[in-house]
Amino acid sequence: MFRLPFLFIITGMISFVLFQLLTLLDLASWMGDHPRNPTGWFRIHLLVLGWGTMIAMGAVYQLIHVVLQSKIYSQKLGFTHYGFFAIGTTGLLLGFHNTNVIWIAGFASIAFIGIILFAWNMGVTLLRASQWNTVTISTACSVIYLTLTGLTGMAMGLNFHFNQWGSFHDQLFGAHLWFGALGWFGLLITGISYKMLPMFYLSHGFPTYTQRIIIILWNAGVLSGAISFLLDWHAFMKWLGLLFIVLAFMVYNIHISHIYIYRHKPHPGNGIIWTIRSARTLMVIGVISLILFPVFPGHMYKTNIIMILGWIYLWGWVAITILGYLSKIVPFLWWTHKYGPQVGKKRIPTMAELIDDRYVQYGLLVIVFSLIVLLCGLGWSLPYLIAFGGSSLALSSLMYISLVIRVFTR
Amino acid sequence: MDTLEECLRQVYDPELGINIVDLGLVYGINAQDGHVQVRMTLTTPGCPMHDMITSGVERALKELPEVQSVQVDIIWQPAWSPAQMSDSAKQQLGYI
Repeated sequence: MFRLPFLFIITGMISFVLFQLLTLLDLASWMGDHPRNPTGWFRIHLLVLGWGTMIAMGAVYQLIHVVLQSKIYSQKLGFTHYGFFAIGTTGLLLGFHNTNVIWIAGFASIAFIGIILFAWNMGVTLLRASQWNTVTISTACSVIYLTLTGLTGMAMGLNFHFNQWGSFHDQLFGAHLWFGALGWFGLLITGISYKMLPMFYLSHGFPTYTQRIIIILWNAGVLSGAISFLLDWHAFMKWLGLLFIVLAFMVYNIHISHIYIYRHKPHPGNGIIWTIRSARTLMVIGVISLILFPVFPGHMYKTNIIMILGWIYLWGWVAITILGYLSKIVPFLWWTHKYGPQVGKKRIPTMAELIDDRYVQYGLLVIVFSLIVLLCGLGWSLPYLIAFGGSSLALSSLMYISLVIRVFTR
Repeated sequence: MDTLEECLRQVYDPELGINIVDLGLVYGINAQDGHVQVRMTLTTPGCPMHDMITSGVERALKELPEVQSVQVDIIWQPAWSPAQMSDSAKQQLGYI
């Protein structure tokens, strides 16, 4: 079980490099524009589909069979899923780039077939193993929300071509964002973390009831938010969805604290420490936003505020968490492949020796600093600050990902 | 038996960098007529190192000329606890 997750993770890394190079080429000017235009769609989907979702799917293939201690339903189906998803995503990105509605509609449908195959493979694997715990339930929910993200995305893609639904397109758009950002990424990251964080901290005996509370609250937030977008309910219902998510995130942070208190390993690695810092920060920003939305509705619903909150969530938490975990996942994948067969025969390097943790620290520090500069630029609408922060973010991300890629030479 | 245990010290948890004997993962070793049975656990069920560590144990023991076959039984009761680690392992993790 090496090639399948490896394929997804490598493809994800290539997309990440491409995204950063394109951002560097135009000095991040696209980041200051309204995201609902072909360039914005292209860049955002390159990041969330080409990178985030590719890496996340690879991580699921890598993790789920070890959690279940049984093989996935079908590796062949996994490779077929990769084919559909990679081709669909590439065509969709080109469709956005060239503003070609037929390509957008056609390739959105092909990418969606890939998602359906992934959901089928995971669904049968989980049902066969029938080991329902917080990790598997959270993963299953996230895959369902990915499917709904794909479904709403494909519907929008088809509507670009057939143009039949009028304003319902915007309702679909809201639900698409909510399902994808909060449902898919949120439940997957928290679910995987239930397994990963205690391992990296060698934490034992910590309370786990919080995991069940998180799953219930998170699902309540995703469903109420997405339904209120789909049915165009009052803004209060969207706020209610946000309330559930923020509460879930607060409990998630309590859970992290429990893991920390019961730790037996003082230092889990800098990548993991940054993922925790990002979770702490997002919780504080989430609580502040929750209070400010009803107090200053006129200001909080402005496009640049929504964009800033979107960047904080997607870059500040989702991307930082993925980057932090990559500093562990990639060494594990490579170590297993290269050194696994030599365990017990001779002295082999540990995983920590495959990546220099000091550089993980420096890399993520510069990435976070650049992100803060970018957010300030977006907040005050200062193009030079957006250009500096965005370019610095792209450059530091490229340097960080090259550090991770160097693992394959060890 | 000491030789067998010493041999298992070559098998490391690659994340922690500590061998499985000092980690307290090995519960028992029985050897009879060239057949060795190892009863051991892992730090957590569903550990990603499961296959790697069990096959590492087999490989390490089969390197010994007197060992003809190896059987590794992973058990979850009693569950592993950090108290089972040796002083050397605890020191390596930095908490004594």
